[in-house]
Amino acid sequence: MPANWWTRNRHYFLYIVREFTVVPIALWLLWLLVEIQRAGGGPAHYSPHGSPAFVVFSVITLLFSLYHSYTFLSLAGVIIHFKVLDRPLPSQLIVLAQFALWAVASVVVGFVLIWFAR
Amino acid sequence: MADKRVTIQTTRYDPDKDEKPRLQSYEIPFYDDSMVVLDALNYIKSNVDGSLSYRWSCRMGICGSCGMMVNGTPKLSCSAFVRDYWPRPILVEPLNNFPVIRDLVIDMDDFMHKLKSIKPWIIRKQEIPLGAGEHRQTNEQIDDFRQFSECINCMLCYAACPVYGLNNEFLGPAAIALARRYNLDSRDQGLKQRLPVIADNEGVWECSFVGECSVVCPKGVDPAKAIQQSKLDTTMRFVLPYGNRD
Repeated sequence: MPANWWTRNRHYFLYIVREFTVVPIALWLLWLLVEIQRAGGGPAHYSPHGSPAFVVFSVITLLFSLYHSYTFLSLAGVIIHFKVLDRPLPSQLIVLAQFALWAVASVVVGFVLIWFAR
Repeated sequence: MADKRVTIQTTRYDPDKDEKPRLQSYEIPFYDDSMVVLDALNYIKSNVDGSLSYRWSCRMGICGSCGMMVNGTPKLSCSAFVRDYWPRPILVEPLNNFPVIRDLVIDMDDFMHKLKSIKPWIIRKQEIPLGAGEHRQTNEQIDDFRQFSECINCMLCYAACPVYGLNNEFLGPAAIALARRYNLDSRDQGLKQRLPVIADNEGVWECSFVGECSVVCPKGVDPAKAIQQSKLDTTMRFVLPYGNRD
């Protein structure tokens, strides 16, 4: 296999993009751990890292995590085999239900974060 | 139509003469709109160069013998229409990820061993005499496995799978899809015999869900689905206390 096998077609490329998106997400989460550790000293000693470069990196990470979540939930619909009254549920319905749960979870998490930040 | 011509570039390789495979071009008549790449190869063999070697049999997408790379994509050459490529040249190569024996003929031994290892037949703990009647199934029970039983062992999915290309110890898409076909069959009781092969490191867990196997399958089988569902099943059998029951 040549090293550039993933450039052979669109599906390979999108697969590599999907796998690559976890790299910036992992880096961002590592930085989050550092921030949490820094915040351990109390509000008086803490100032969040907010350089323009970090904001740009955070926005890119957000886009990557949205793409990764979208592909993950779309593919999970293929995997989950669920029967109701001896009939398998259509995978589109499973995918739709997952996106709905994702939206609800995002609203709940957002609400909790804003509530504690007040 | 009679004046139209098409250029076919095919891999040529004679292990007794060539150090490595090379390409050879043939310009032949594009005589009919229903002409497929296999027809083009047959024309070359009959009229231009009788030494060109390739596998084929049914010419109707059933036997799975004539899988080749057509312009870089795994295809059954009997189902790849020349009109879809014309007037560009058509590049015909042996299936990716397999050793080449000669020209377009690949060595399929590895696949045959893997196929046999998952025991693609109905296994019963105790055979019931024929006189006891048939094993009845409902439509729903047949629907559970029907799509996986459409596999024709053409190996296009192996040629499309980069995981198999990088590590040919991987059991591979078709073998796992067929294992799932029998594991889902209500008549079969061989799951425990297949599990050590399927749940092995080189079994379902080697797959990283590229999904190209399902894209190239000429029979609409979804091996990627079979593999991911098998991952879920083997995990549940491991995690849940009642999972190891038959």
